[in-house]
Amino acid sequence: MKKIIIFFVFCTVFCATIKAQGGFSWENLQVKARLGYSIGGTAPIGFPATIRSVDAFRLTPSVMAGADVALPLNEKWGVSAGLRFENKAMEIEATTKAYRMEVTKGDQKIEGLFTGHIQQDVTEWMLTLPIMATYAVGRNVTLKAGPYASLLLSKDFSGIASDGYLRQGDPTGPRIIMGSKEGEWATYDFSDEMRPLQFGIAAGVDWQVHQHIGLSADLNWGLTGIFNRDFKTVEQTLYPIYGTIGIFYQF
Amino acid sequence: MAALALLTSCIKDEEANQECDIVSAWVEGKEYENYFYDVTQMKHENIASTVTEIVFTVKSMISLPEKLPIQLAVTPGATVVPASGSEQHFKDGPVTYTVTSQDGSWQRQYTVVFREAVKPTYRYGFEEVETIEGMNNNLYHNFYIFDQAGNRQNVWATGNPGAILIKQNSMPEDQPTYSTEQGYVGRGVCMNTQDAGMLGRLFGKPIAAGNLFIGQFILDNVLLDALKATQFGLPIDRVPIRVTGYYKYRPGDTFTNKDMEPVPGRVDEASIYAVFYRNKDNDGNPIFLYGDNVLSSEYIVRKAEVASLPPTDEWTPFEMFFEGGDADPIVLASQGYNMTLVFSSSKDGASFEGAIGSTLYVDEVVVSFEEITQ
Repeated sequence: MKKIIIFFVFCTVFCATIKAQGGFSWENLQVKARLGYSIGGTAPIGFPATIRSVDAFRLTPSVMAGADVALPLNEKWGVSAGLRFENKAMEIEATTKAYRMEVTKGDQKIEGLFTGHIQQDVTEWMLTLPIMATYAVGRNVTLKAGPYASLLLSKDFSGIASDGYLRQGDPTGPRIIMGSKEGEWATYDFSDEMRPLQFGIAAGVDWQVHQHIGLSADLNWGLTGIFNRDFKTVEQTLYPIYGTIGIFYQF
Repeated sequence: MAALALLTSCIKDEEANQECDIVSAWVEGKEYENYFYDVTQMKHENIASTVTEIVFTVKSMISLPEKLPIQLAVTPGATVVPASGSEQHFKDGPVTYTVTSQDGSWQRQYTVVFREAVKPTYRYGFEEVETIEGMNNNLYHNFYIFDQAGNRQNVWATGNPGAILIKQNSMPEDQPTYSTEQGYVGRGVCMNTQDAGMLGRLFGKPIAAGNLFIGQFILDNVLLDALKATQFGLPIDRVPIRVTGYYKYRPGDTFTNKDMEPVPGRVDEASIYAVFYRNKDNDGNPIFLYGDNVLSSEYIVRKAEVASLPPTDEWTPFEMFFEGGDADPIVLASQGYNMTLVFSSSKDGASFEGAIGSTLYVDEVVVSFEEITQ
């Protein structure tokens, strides 16, 4: 969190400096409408050894629509702010060995170490506000970087633990075998434990290919984990890290 | 696909195993076969995760050699002390084995014991009960008996270890099966059908009927196939003909199906039955009956069921006779038959149909046997 505040302060100072240098005019305001598709994951930075293999990774409806306003401050530098409606989703299947997990429902729970197959679905529909510094490289290419804040509108973090077994409590606890169909496997849902606000940094490039049309590529790197801080069941902090390929229309 | 390859490249090296179970235990060698009734009794395979005592049943403790080797298969990478295959003095009593996990940080202790076959008790008064502390500070009752030779025998099993899976900080009387001081004589057994809560519903197992049976509850199977968690029967050396006892029964208010939907007009029923069956197939493989075939298996020789158990708040006698075929004396002498005795507060509780609150009390159960002809 502290890092993010520092980043915002840095941006403000940076903008003020540029502004002081002159060459700024409100008339140069540029508006870009954007559409994009994101691919990435909500994952720990470095897999824990309890993940033994990733067996499937499916594309999800991770679409992005939005617009931003860019204000050139001088010939090279500028600032932009935007609003995006986007989904950062993930569907992944993995094989685990002694992966700590918990199945909760109401006030009941079973927790322990799971060895077997996990199918994990993550959906995070959100409104994202990116604030970026822009730097023009030549006439058609603009580099951009800056922080973003996201407000989650709908969130889902759920999955299935199957084809394996849970050792309740610790590796010497009762072994509960999980099968390969409904009723034999365990489902879990940590959606309510997800934090409603996410922060991160984004960097990307806009490439103007036509008078109005351009292509973009962005990397959005979450700096906050997706869960509330007091939620300990998922041992590793999971960060949303997504790349977005998009097109834009410049008015 | 590229993303998958990228992710796969992030996989760390596998860590050492943390588990430390004895998976199977057996006596190897033709020279030992004579000490056992049958070769199938020389081996325990797929030992359940909650087992800590491994019992080998032999014909006679007196004729047992001073030292015997037991072969053990443990979790891959785990080590066991004393070593598998080392000769131990089982004649002097139980031997404790300590298994240490591959990563060295976890241990489990098992006792391996040699015992003579259970000399059946004719009377079950349910006076012998102990309180077991399960995970998450859950307490539950476990019933056992002393056989005619004065040995403690763990013949009775309940579904309690499954019921506590989803509980925390519960008392023995909170469980589906517990010992009550208000028996017909002394202590008795109370079985009640419970709501398995949100988590039970999540697993498609919305209710937990109280039960008590001769056999073993295999917790490992409870989620996979609850019918396979109840392994019915233990070897017996005589042929049962009649079971009597006392009961009280009160069905719960609302009968529900496995989706927890009320079934109007249906009233819950208790069940009491007993089964006597062949415990080996024609090829000599061990046979056990489970919840899905205990009353229908082709290996059943004779069975007894109490036709009806009308609701009553007074201790009321019940009686049931075994019906079916005769036992082969040679098979009988080699411990080739098992018997189970089953009590449940909801007749179809195994398939999660019943009424929450149905309560069955049982006490002073007596089994009569045919005369043993030598």
